[in-house]
Amino acid sequence: MSTAASPLLRRRNKKINWQKVALIVTFSAVPLFLLILFTYVPFAKMLKFSFYNMSYTKNKGYVGFDNYLKIFSKEEYVQAMLLSLYYMAGAVVQLSLALFFATLLTSGLKGSGIFKGIIFFPFLVNGIAIGYIFKFFYTRGFVLDTVLQAIGFPLESLPYWLRDKAVNNWSLVFTSVWKYCGQNMVLFIGAIASIDPTLYEAATIDGANKWQQFKAIILPGIKTVFMLNLILSITGSLSAFEPAYVVGSMGANGTATFFIKIHQMAHVNQKVGMACAMAMVLMVLILIFTAAQRLFFRYVMKDSENTFNGKANQAKALW
Amino acid sequence: MKKFLSVFLALVMALSLASFASAEETLPTFDQLVWGENADLTANITFAYHRTDIPDKLNGYITEFQKTYPNVSITYDLVTDYAESALLRVGTANWTIMGIPQVDVDELPTYFIPLGSLDVLSQQYRFMSGKAYNGVCYGMPSTGNANGIVYNKAVFAAAGVTELPRTPDEFIAALKLIKENTDAIPLYTNYAAGWTMGAWDEYIGGSATGSSSFYNRDLPHMKDPFSDHGNGTYPYAVYKILFDAVKEGLIEEDYTTTDWEGCKGMINNGKIGCMVLGSWAYTQMRDAGEHGEDIGYMAFPITIDGKQYAPAGGDYNFGINVQASYEEKLASLYYIKFLTEQSGFAYSEGGVPIDMNGEFPELYAAFDGIDLVEQLPAVAGEETLLGNLNAESELNLNAGGNTKVQEIIEHAFNGDKSFDDIMADWNEAWSDAQESLGVTVNE
Repeated sequence: MSTAASPLLRRRNKKINWQKVALIVTFSAVPLFLLILFTYVPFAKMLKFSFYNMSYTKNKGYVGFDNYLKIFSKEEYVQAMLLSLYYMAGAVVQLSLALFFATLLTSGLKGSGIFKGIIFFPFLVNGIAIGYIFKFFYTRGFVLDTVLQAIGFPLESLPYWLRDKAVNNWSLVFTSVWKYCGQNMVLFIGAIASIDPTLYEAATIDGANKWQQFKAIILPGIKTVFMLNLILSITGSLSAFEPAYVVGSMGANGTATFFIKIHQMAHVNQKVGMACAMAMVLMVLILIFTAAQRLFFRYVMKDSENTFNGKANQAKALW
Repeated sequence: MKKFLSVFLALVMALSLASFASAEETLPTFDQLVWGENADLTANITFAYHRTDIPDKLNGYITEFQKTYPNVSITYDLVTDYAESALLRVGTANWTIMGIPQVDVDELPTYFIPLGSLDVLSQQYRFMSGKAYNGVCYGMPSTGNANGIVYNKAVFAAAGVTELPRTPDEFIAALKLIKENTDAIPLYTNYAAGWTMGAWDEYIGGSATGSSSFYNRDLPHMKDPFSDHGNGTYPYAVYKILFDAVKEGLIEEDYTTTDWEGCKGMINNGKIGCMVLGSWAYTQMRDAGEHGEDIGYMAFPITIDGKQYAPAGGDYNFGINVQASYEEKLASLYYIKFLTEQSGFAYSEGGVPIDMNGEFPELYAAFDGIDLVEQLPAVAGEETLLGNLNAESELNLNAGGNTKVQEIIEHAFNGDKSFDDIMADWNEAWSDAQESLGVTVNE
């Protein structure tokens, strides 16, 4: 570029920069505004409310950390938090199933499109509708009992799926697994599809069986999506609501998750300050779990990534 | 959801601050209204209400009303989860008339226009004290309820129950007869619907004590209100009936999957013996099938010194938005007057008439000789006490405390807690709340 042109260029550069700035500002102003208005301002308000004894319509004064202390001093809230363990166990099953189906359906199975559709379908159904479906599903002598009787279980040996406290939380967890499994699966399928197919070929030539291929190629290849799915499922478990609210009759019979307790606190007891404090606790819990998972996987996946790269390089070299 | 709510709340607050400005002509009080005056009144009214089940009936009232006030247009905004959503809307300007939700009484003047003095209005109308504060009424009851138990006469007859039970023991005995002699479910709890469980709280005042000062004046200062008085009265006896019925297997097999809409047809067809629900439920049960004539209504089975009582009170009260324009307020007053005195709404809903001149529907036939007990308002300075105690103790008596009644069923069924232990827990919660709010407790 000639030196003569440079002042012009600089000016033009400046102009372009302004344009850029204008563009960036105009494009981000609206979403930023919305983000601040609907996320950060309410969040700040919620944090503030959590230090007050207040209802929706009335503020009865600042109480410091009282709300937070109450949460941990009452057994029922701690118990509600522990209910998340059921949903976390469900999440493990859900992810394994999703991964299994995803692997199966990407291996060139016939009619895989239809199966994908069938498994993904529940995710598209409204959560409340699913709730009502399952309410009837679990009612004594209805769908589930009929099916089980047809394959030979006498009705007397079957539990009351929602009444018996030994099984009712598992029944609810199942509805959640049924709904979200398809979503996890689709995400997995997307990730698996983006793996270079030549790797399988190379691995086959290398003498690797399907299981080894899964372990050495698919699993490391979908690491990011796996993490995403895991975080989504665990945070989902901590804030489980729909199944317990609709199928479990608003958290009756020992199915009230922490999220339902928050709802009751705000809308039945009218203690909005307390409910905000509970929401804050839930958020901190979710942050802790997410951070813990990230740390854990950074540690574990590091190894597998090395193996993956090693194997891949090896395979490529061979090819 | 919560984030959304808090923004919404902020908006609500901003809006409600912004709109207390203009000076207006003085509105007539409810008793001064003359039907037919101001017939050229022009206004648009939005009416927020919970009766999603009868839109045609409500719209019929509009047509009828417009024969006198043709330029007043009214739109019903019917909401299913009314109790909650109305609380969020109450401070906004997007309604003109609404069924007053559970706001503390001292907040009534913030949201609703005064309708007139309690002394004057209660000479002409029933149940006016429900939404009154400092001697001024802010709401007009839509209809009145006198609460007891809705039952199927044919089932009771087939079981061999010849006389209606008057005490807890007689009631349990009657339920046992139904179980032995018929295929009907003696007592259907409606556990899963939730609010149907909280409905039991209604009976611990009027039915169980016969006292009109129980809820708002005695209960807040009562020491251990859930203790056993040994004679089948007081709140203990009410909840004991439920506990015993569950323990003796006199309820539906699987209480977690009860079906509210379904129960109406079931009791109509004789598959259910009885249900503990307010009198408003009577018409719904009667109209749910072909055996409407079998449906009856009886008083709650508690007798105090040989006498039975039924708690009575207004259903949802109609209140008018302070933020509405003068014309809208005036038109709303006329419409509420129409609903109260001319529409026949209370009668057709099986309610106790609000207008003193109104007619009692037939369902109260079995209420002959039974005293209706209306709860008196709290004494001055204690208007919010019961509400605060309810919130603090989380028992929410007669204010959405469904969970605690559901737990009675769970404990009775699973046998993991005795009834006395449950009541002891409630007493403790109540005492703790009294202590933390610094309430004087009468020994």
